[in-house]
Amino acid sequence: MPLMSGITDPKPFVPIANAAPNRLLSTRAGGALVKDYWDRLFSARERGATVVWYNGAALNPIFQAAGIEWCHGEAFGARLAAMHLEGPAQRTGEEYGYSNELCSYARTTLGCAVLTKRAAETSGSSLMPDQDVLASRLPPPDLFVNAYAGCSTGQQWDEISYRLFNKQLPFFKVSYPLLWGNNPDDGYLQGAEWEKASHYVAAQIYKLIEFLEAHTKRKFDWEALREAMHYIKRASELRLEAMALCRAMPAPATFWDWIASIAPINFLPGNQALVDYFAGVKAEIEQRVVAGVAALPNERYRLAFDGIMNWNKVGWLANKFAETGSAVMVGRYTHNSFWNEPQLIDADDPILGMAQHYLLCPFNHSARVLGQLLLRECETYGVEGVVFHATRTCRSASNGQMVMAQMAQRAGLQTMFFEGDVADESFYKDAVLESRLEAMLETIDVRRKLG
Amino acid sequence: MGRVDTIIGELGRIAEDPVGYVAGWKERHGRKAIGVLPMNFPVELVHAAGALPVVVQESRVPITLGRSLIFEYYCGYTRSLVDQAVTSQLDMLDGMFIVDHCVALLGAMDAIRYALPDMPVYLAQFTASMDEPWSPPQVRDEIALLQARLAALCGVTITDQALRRSIALFNHDRALLRRVYELRRTGRIALRAAEMQVLVQSAMVMDIEDHAAAMTELVEVIDIERRPAADGVRLHFSGHFCHAPQPELLDLIESCGATVVDDDLYTGYRYISTDVPDLADPLDGLTTWYFDRNNNVPCSTRAQKTVDWESYLVAAVAADRSEGVVTLMPKFCEPHMLYFPELRKALLDRGIPHLLLETEHEGLALETVRVRVEAFVETIKRRAAVAPELA
Repeated sequence: MPLMSGITDPKPFVPIANAAPNRLLSTRAGGALVKDYWDRLFSARERGATVVWYNGAALNPIFQAAGIEWCHGEAFGARLAAMHLEGPAQRTGEEYGYSNELCSYARTTLGCAVLTKRAAETSGSSLMPDQDVLASRLPPPDLFVNAYAGCSTGQQWDEISYRLFNKQLPFFKVSYPLLWGNNPDDGYLQGAEWEKASHYVAAQIYKLIEFLEAHTKRKFDWEALREAMHYIKRASELRLEAMALCRAMPAPATFWDWIASIAPINFLPGNQALVDYFAGVKAEIEQRVVAGVAALPNERYRLAFDGIMNWNKVGWLANKFAETGSAVMVGRYTHNSFWNEPQLIDADDPILGMAQHYLLCPFNHSARVLGQLLLRECETYGVEGVVFHATRTCRSASNGQMVMAQMAQRAGLQTMFFEGDVADESFYKDAVLESRLEAMLETIDVRRKLG
Repeated sequence: MGRVDTIIGELGRIAEDPVGYVAGWKERHGRKAIGVLPMNFPVELVHAAGALPVVVQESRVPITLGRSLIFEYYCGYTRSLVDQAVTSQLDMLDGMFIVDHCVALLGAMDAIRYALPDMPVYLAQFTASMDEPWSPPQVRDEIALLQARLAALCGVTITDQALRRSIALFNHDRALLRRVYELRRTGRIALRAAEMQVLVQSAMVMDIEDHAAAMTELVEVIDIERRPAADGVRLHFSGHFCHAPQPELLDLIESCGATVVDDDLYTGYRYISTDVPDLADPLDGLTTWYFDRNNNVPCSTRAQKTVDWESYLVAAVAADRSEGVVTLMPKFCEPHMLYFPELRKALLDRGIPHLLLETEHEGLALETVRVRVEAFVETIKRRAAVAPELA
């Protein structure tokens, strides 16, 4: 039956059989680098290394230059969730008293902290139940650094970590202003607020370096920082160049490939291996573009993904979208995050540019700016619909999403929300995603017919 | 009806209908009303600008249209704020200001800004980490910017003299409220928890001079009219950093044989705990107040190594001779969820009976709560009965 004059029913939505995405092979090297990183960190105590536990911004180049080893709490929570090994840590957190409505990164990592303490008290993990071993393998910290932009919970979480270790360890906090936009001239990378916030954070980074010098009893190696930032800047440029190549039709790689590259750019050491990794990713994408190799066997739609990742369901979601012929082209968490403005980095004098990147955390902007960035990316990548991941325990990632959706709708884009969580799969609702995605794609079909 | 009942009744009507009160106040005074959000806003600045500072309360209206701008997994207060904005309940305000960095509050404020594009909305973000030597200057700087913004909005200059006067007025009112707290804490008066809350909540929305006048009269007669009745089990309420627990919940708890003698609620002792010191520079005074407040009644929304909420709570319970603590935790309040295990540990270590009640904007099953509270009160009574035998 015709929907309206001149328009016929769109074809019934049929998932594409055997539509597994053609993921990049080069990202496997990143997986190996990340595994090596964690394996090395697990032995930090045996090697007599100083260990910092930190959350939030990518302070790792600072720690690298200070000669200490770093454990990024959220990254470990994400790793456990991606490996489906978050259960022991989360159960431990629940036994300790945390509600499941609390940030699942926080309760996973705090559960790890409890297990780590237990492991230390039982002289190592050998006495732990097998399934708890990975969650308990983090080396106990020597110091804490908190540097969480955009999320008050992130700051409070480290206050608890500090207390879990009996308030005995040195603890440094970097505070970030939210890029709120009180004044008309405030905007992305512009305005008095941006300038003021940049210098405020930079001043704290210098103080952090003094703190690290005091606690390591070593002079900070500024040359090592410059070198690390030189590599990180180059890696970032390669990542962005490779992302830009993905505008090609068909898309040679998608959001899910960039998800696989988050860990390397977020916390691996700044060195030649990091540059080589992103050079490898870029080279593979270039080859695909030349050869016309597609990331999806049948690309029918181009979508954007907003929100933090659902780490329990990365592969599942990649397959789910591929089955519908939906190439997820771009995402806030991949494309507007993690050293994503390398022109700000002066490798010879890197602190200000680093501080600015810490402020550019994708959850540290106003809804208006987030909406503007989303629309810009949708235009760049030819996106017709936006998928919002309503992340149950992450208010930081959820802030602004409904405003962004309304801005996108006004710009003529289709939008949908699905429910899930960053590291707690109990909040994921597959049927909701499926039915809403199907409805959105059908609407896109109708709009295409309407011209 | 005695004078106390009359005063509490009048203040209660204002606390229940702040929108109506603000509309009436604006009509009478012809000045602006500025909405401010919890938890640490220096309302004296608004007053010194000639406007009425109104701590925006959770509305009792069910949340409907607000759902289009904020998710259901935000706390009831923030969801209510957004709903109030989109259902025209905030239209009587001439601006909205906030100083606190709570991820949910700021999300709500951003949604309000989108929903009410003509409403002046301003964030002066006070650093939440209290330990660093650079935090007080940052807060001082934000207070100065706030002062300038308020002055511009109200079309006035905020003089030091005006600010000092406002500080003195608010200090006076806080002192009167603390006096009532002290009378209740020491068992010299009988005042229900919901009544105590009315006194503080009304202070959050009323013209401070009118409120202080009512409080002055109340303090004069309350120990005469409200002599303590038979004792119930003495309880301490803890939690709710931003908004008022529903009065029917407070009444229900006390109807189970309990008497609430103290609290650290935002619409309670937390709000009035600390005066602004009289310093040469009043902005320095307001800065000091922000840091003093967290030393006096620590809040888990602040990051401070040198104080702990649980230590405060244990000391408060010892001082007010409470026999148990009822934690009132708004669903989805992350700073509360994060600190709850620390509170529980501290209370368990000291053998202080403790009950956790999760609250929500809608759908609170009061009869289910009643069974739990009755069991809790009974446990405390039995404990008290057994303790002398053991001794």
